[in-house]
Amino acid sequence: MQYPQLLNSTIYWLTQKRWLLFAFIVALALFLLPTPSGLSLSGYRILIIVIIALTLIITESLPLPGIAFIIIILEVYFGIGDANSIARSFMNDAVFFIMGSLMLAVAIVRQGWDKRIALGIIKLTGNKTHRVAFGFAAISAVLASFVGEHTVAAIMLPIALTLIKYTSKDRKKVRRLSAYLLFSIAYGSLIGSVGTPSGGGRNVILIHYWQEFGMPQISYLEWMKFAYPLILIQIPILSWILWKNFPPEKTVLDTGIRRLKTKVANSNQITTKQITALIIFFMVFLGWVFLSETVGLGIIALTGVVMYLITGCVTWDDLHKHVNWGVILLFGATISMGAQINHTGAAEWLANNVIKFGGELMTSVPIFTDGLVILLTTFLANVLSSSATVAVLGPITLNLPGDSTHIGLVMAISSAFGYFTAVAAPACTIIYASGLVKARDFLKAGWKIGLISIILLIIYANTYWAIIN
Amino acid sequence: MQNTKILNSAIFWLSQKRWLIIATIVGALFYLMPTPEGLTAEGHYILVIVVIAIFLIIFEPIPLPAIAFIVLILEVLFSIASPNEAAKSFFSDAVFFIMGSLMLAVAIISQGLDKRLALGIIRLTGNKTWKIVFGFIGISAILSSFIGEHTVTAMMLPVGLTLLRFTNADPKQLKRLTPLLLFSIAYGSAMGSIGTPSGGGRNVIMLDYWREFGIANITYLKWMSYAYPMLLIEIPLATAILWFTFRPKHKLMDTAIRKLKLEVAKSGKMTGREMSAIFIFILVFLGWVFLSPKIGLGVVALIGVVLYLVFGLIHWDDLNRNTNWGVILLFGAAISMGLQMKDTGAALWIAENAISTLERITPNIDILRWFISVFLTGILTNLLSNAATVAVIGPIVLNMGGDPIIIGFSTAIASAFAYLTVVASPTCMIIHSSGLVKSKDYMRAGWKMFLMSATVLFFISKIW
Amino acid sequence: MKILIAISSKEYSKPTLQVGMWAAKAFNASVTIAYVGQKISAFGTSDVGLAQESIAKWGIERPGVQVLEWAFNYLAENKYITPETAKAGFQRNTLVDRGKNRVELHLKGNYCEGVDLILRRGDIIPELRNEVAQNGYDITIIGRSKKRRMAHDLVQYIDSSIYIARDLAPPEGHRLLQAVDDSKGTAKALVYGSQVAKAFKMPVDVLTVSKRESFGKGYMGAHKKALRAFEKVGIKPVSILKVGDPVSEVIKTATAKHLIVMGVSHLNPIVKFFKGSKPLKVINQCNSPVLIVK
Repeated sequence: MQYPQLLNSTIYWLTQKRWLLFAFIVALALFLLPTPSGLSLSGYRILIIVIIALTLIITESLPLPGIAFIIIILEVYFGIGDANSIARSFMNDAVFFIMGSLMLAVAIVRQGWDKRIALGIIKLTGNKTHRVAFGFAAISAVLASFVGEHTVAAIMLPIALTLIKYTSKDRKKVRRLSAYLLFSIAYGSLIGSVGTPSGGGRNVILIHYWQEFGMPQISYLEWMKFAYPLILIQIPILSWILWKNFPPEKTVLDTGIRRLKTKVANSNQITTKQITALIIFFMVFLGWVFLSETVGLGIIALTGVVMYLITGCVTWDDLHKHVNWGVILLFGATISMGAQINHTGAAEWLANNVIKFGGELMTSVPIFTDGLVILLTTFLANVLSSSATVAVLGPITLNLPGDSTHIGLVMAISSAFGYFTAVAAPACTIIYASGLVKARDFLKAGWKIGLISIILLIIYANTYWAIIN
Repeated sequence: MQNTKILNSAIFWLSQKRWLIIATIVGALFYLMPTPEGLTAEGHYILVIVVIAIFLIIFEPIPLPAIAFIVLILEVLFSIASPNEAAKSFFSDAVFFIMGSLMLAVAIISQGLDKRLALGIIRLTGNKTWKIVFGFIGISAILSSFIGEHTVTAMMLPVGLTLLRFTNADPKQLKRLTPLLLFSIAYGSAMGSIGTPSGGGRNVIMLDYWREFGIANITYLKWMSYAYPMLLIEIPLATAILWFTFRPKHKLMDTAIRKLKLEVAKSGKMTGREMSAIFIFILVFLGWVFLSPKIGLGVVALIGVVLYLVFGLIHWDDLNRNTNWGVILLFGAAISMGLQMKDTGAALWIAENAISTLERITPNIDILRWFISVFLTGILTNLLSNAATVAVIGPIVLNMGGDPIIIGFSTAIASAFAYLTVVASPTCMIIHSSGLVKSKDYMRAGWKMFLMSATVLFFISKIW
Repeated sequence: MKILIAISSKEYSKPTLQVGMWAAKAFNASVTIAYVGQKISAFGTSDVGLAQESIAKWGIERPGVQVLEWAFNYLAENKYITPETAKAGFQRNTLVDRGKNRVELHLKGNYCEGVDLILRRGDIIPELRNEVAQNGYDITIIGRSKKRRMAHDLVQYIDSSIYIARDLAPPEGHRLLQAVDDSKGTAKALVYGSQVAKAFKMPVDVLTVSKRESFGKGYMGAHKKALRAFEKVGIKPVSILKVGDPVSEVIKTATAKHLIVMGVSHLNPIVKFFKGSKPLKVINQCNSPVLIVK
C-alpha cells in the first residue's frame, strides 16, 4: 500500500512540475552542446539561463521568487560572477523604483481616493455611456502615466464595478457594458503607462540600461515630450474601437450615475490623512521631475514611502501584506540577467545575428528595425510581463544599429501593448480577476488595438521624433 | 473644533515620533559641526547617518524598513554614493544569506518537527530537572549552530511550554521553573549561534567583511574549529548558572515527561514530508560545508529555499507572509553603511581615535582592542540587533590593527551575548512573547551569563 | 451607545470590568472589551509570529487569550451574555483576525446589544486611540494606572469620554459629584451626569467653585441649570458653592464614595499638553473614580 501511494504522489509531482523538468532537460542539452562561434562561454551560459527563466516565467511552474532564486543560483554556478558581484547586480535604482512604486501603490489605493475620482469623472462626462467610457479611459491614462498602471487599475476598478452594479443587478444583461467599461480602464492605463518614466517599472529599467551601457540619457520632461503626445492620440482611438467591439446594452446610464452620485456624496469630507497623502505624492512627483537625474527615480520613490510611513498614512503591516515581494525579487533577478547578457557579450552576439538576418534592410530602412523591435517586444510582453520583457530584450535591442534613445523608447512603448492576454499586464490581470470579462475578450478587442497601436507607433516614431529632434 | 482636533492629532503624532525628531536634530547638529581633522567630508556624513540610524533602530519610532530607506536616501543625498552604488552596496551574499535563512526557518518550522525533537530530548535526558535543563541548552545550542537561533527557539518553545503546563496548570506555582526552562532555550540557542557561519546572519556579515577588506577567506570548517570549542565549554557553565539562579522546587518532572511522551506518541510515524524536509536540510548543510567557498553561503541557502518550494514542502504565500522583509531591508542598509564607513575612511578614523584615547588608561594595546571589540559589541548587541551591530562595528574593529581574524571572531562571538534585554535578539523576544517571563528576569540571569561568556571568550581567544 | 472597556490582567481589571458592565446594562449599550498585549519589536515580529503558530499547534494559547477567557467567564457568571453563548464556552478557534492588528470574538449579550472581546498588540495609548478612531466609542473605561503620564495621555489623546475606574464601587450608597462651571464642556457633562444618576438612582452633589469671592452671573446660571437638569430626571440634588482653587476644592469635597463627573477642558491642545488641565489634575490627585465627558 505504502509503495503505490508513494509512486502515485511522485507521478503527480512530476506532472505538476513537467515544465520545470522540461526546462532543465533543455538547459542540460544546451549546456552539453558546443558553444556557437563568436560567443564567449559565459555568454552562451547566460543565454541558457535566459531560456530556463523564460520557460519558467511563462509556464509559472514555480512561484516567481523561486524563479528569481534559480536565476541567481545558476549565474553563480556557471561562474558568470561570484556570489557578491551577482548580489550587487541584483540591486540597483530600478529595483528600488519597482519596490517603491509597489509600496506607493498600496499607500495610494488605501487612501480611498476612488470616491473622489468617481465624482470627478461623473461631473466631467455626464451620463452618456460612450462619454463615461471615454472619461474612464482618459483619466486612467493620465493617472497611470504618473503613478503606474497597477495603481490606477486598482483604484478605478471599484468605481466601474459600482456603476455596473447600479445599472443592473443582472450581470448577464450588462455583459457588453461591463466589458466596455473595464477594458476602458485596463487599456487606458496601459496606454498611459508609457507617458513618463514613473509610469512603469520598465521605463526605469530602460533608463537604468542607458546609464549602465553609457548611452545618452533623457530627463523626465524630455521623456514626456517624446511619449506623451502618443497617449493623446491613442485614447480616442481606443475608446472608439471598444465602442464598436462591445456595443453596450445601454447608451445612457442615468440611473446608475444617479445612484453612484448619492453613494459618493455620502462619503465623508476629505480627511487630514488624504490631504497629507496628496501633498506627499505631489512632492514625490516634483522630485521625479526635478531631482531624478541626480538622486535617481528609485530613491525618490523610497523617500515617498518613508514619508507615508512616518506620517502614518500607511502602516508597514499593510505594505508587508500587500506588496508582492516575489515580483520585486524576480525583477531584480531579470535585471541582473540583463546586465550579464550585455556584460558577457551575449547581447552583442544576438544583435549581430539579428543584423545578419535582417541583412541590408536593417541599415537602409530604419522602419524595418523599428517594426522588428516592436513585434518582438509586443509578443514577449504578452507572454511574460512588460518589465521582464524590457529587462531581457533591452540589452539586445540597444545593441542594434541606430539611435539608442529611439530604439529604447520604441521598445518601452511597445512593451505596453500587452492587450492580448489576461496575464500580460497587472492592469489586465486586475480586471480579469473581477470575473466580468472572459479570457477570449482580451484577444477579441486586443488584436485590433494592438495592430493600430503598432502601426501608429511606427509612423509616430519616424515622423514626430524626427521633427522634434 | 475641527482646528483643535487637528492640532491634537499633530501633538499626538509629535509625541509618538519624538525619537525621530530627536534623531533628526542630533543628526543636523552633527552635520553642521565642522568636519574633524583627519576625516573626509564623506566620512563625516556617513557617521551622521550611522548616528541617526542607531537612534532610530533603538527607539523604533518608525518601521524598520523606513529606517533602511532613510539610510539609503541620506547616502545618496549626502552624495556619498550614486543611487546605483548605494543600491549595490545594499545587496551582497550576506543579505542573500539572511533572506535565505529566514525563509528556511519558515520552511523548517512549518514541518512540525518539534514533536520529534521533544521525543528526542526526553529520550536523552530522562526525568531529572537538571538533566532536562542541560538537555535543552545542549540541544538548542547544537541545533542553532547549524540552522540559526530563531528557528530553534521557535521549535523548542512549544516543547518547553508543554512540559510546564503538564507539570502544573497554574503558572504561578512554577515561578522559578518557568524562567529556568525558557531561558535555557533562549540562551542555549543564542550561545549556539556562534558555532558555524550559518548559525546567524552576523557571522556571514563578518565573513563578508573579511573577504571584502582582503583579510582572509575563512571556510565553514575553519570557522567551526575556531568557534565550536567555546560553545562546548559554555553549555555546562550556562546550565550551572541558570540552575543556581533559579533553583526550581521541582527536582523531578516524571509526570510531565510521561504526559509529554503520550502527547508526542499520538503524532505517529515519520511521514515522507518530514523526512524529505530533513533530507533537504542536510543537503543544504553539506552545501554550506563543501560548496560555500566557491558559491557563497547565501546562494546555498537560496538553493535550499528553491528545493523546499520545488518539492511543495512550503508555499510561497507562507514564506511571503512570514518572512520579515523589513529586517532584510534593514540589514542590507546596515551592511551598506558598514561598507561606506570603510570606503570613506570613517571606520579607520574612529578606530584610531578610540585606541589613542584609551591608550592613556592602559598601555596594553592588545587587551584594549579586545576590550573594545567585546564590550562595545556586547553592549550594542543588547540595544540594536546582533546583525546590525556586527554590520556597523565590524569595519571599525577590523581597522584597529592587531590580528583582524581574532578581533573579528571576538566581535562576531560577542554579538551573541544578547542576554540582557528583551529586544536583544529574536530568541529573547520569542520567549518574552509567551508572557511568562518578565523583563527583569533577563537582567537577573543575563549579567552572569554575560560575564561568564566574556571570560570564556577571553581565555579562548588567548589560548586557542 | 458604545462602550470600550480596556482590561490589563485578571488581578487588576476586575473593578474596571464590573463598572463597565454595569454601565452597559444600565444604558443598554454595546460593549467592546479590549486587551492590549505587549508590543513586539519589529525585529522579531515574524519570528514571534512563527513561534506562536507552532505553539498553537500544541494547544497552548497566547498570553492575551487567557485574559479574554477570564473576561468571558466573568461575563458568563454574571449573566451578561445569553445562556447559549455562555454554554458554548470560550472558543479560541472562533477568534477572528480582522487584520489591522485586531483579533476579535463576538458574543451575544443578554442585557446589552452585544459584547466583543478583542485583542490588540502594541503600546496602549496608540492602540486605544486607533480603536476609538476606527469604531467610534462614546465612553472608554479604564483602570487607574500607576504611571502619571498615562492619565495625561488618555485625557489628551483618546477621542471619547473617559471613565477612570478605581476600586470596587457598588452604586448603592455612592454619590455623584457633578463639577459645574460655565464652560461648554459642562453642558455635555451634565447630560451624562444626569443619565448616570438616573440609571443608578444615585444622590447628587452639584459643586461650583469660584475663584473670586462673589459668584459671577455665568457661574450662577450654570449652577442653576445643573440643578434643574437633575430635578428633571427626578433627583433632588444638593447644591454646594465654594470659593477657592477649583481643583483643590473638588478634591476636598470628594469622598471615597463619590463619583466625579466633569467636562473636558477646552484649553488649546498645546497648552493642555504642557500644563495639563483641571480634569487631569483631579484624576492624578484624587482617589475617587472620575468620568470626563468629551
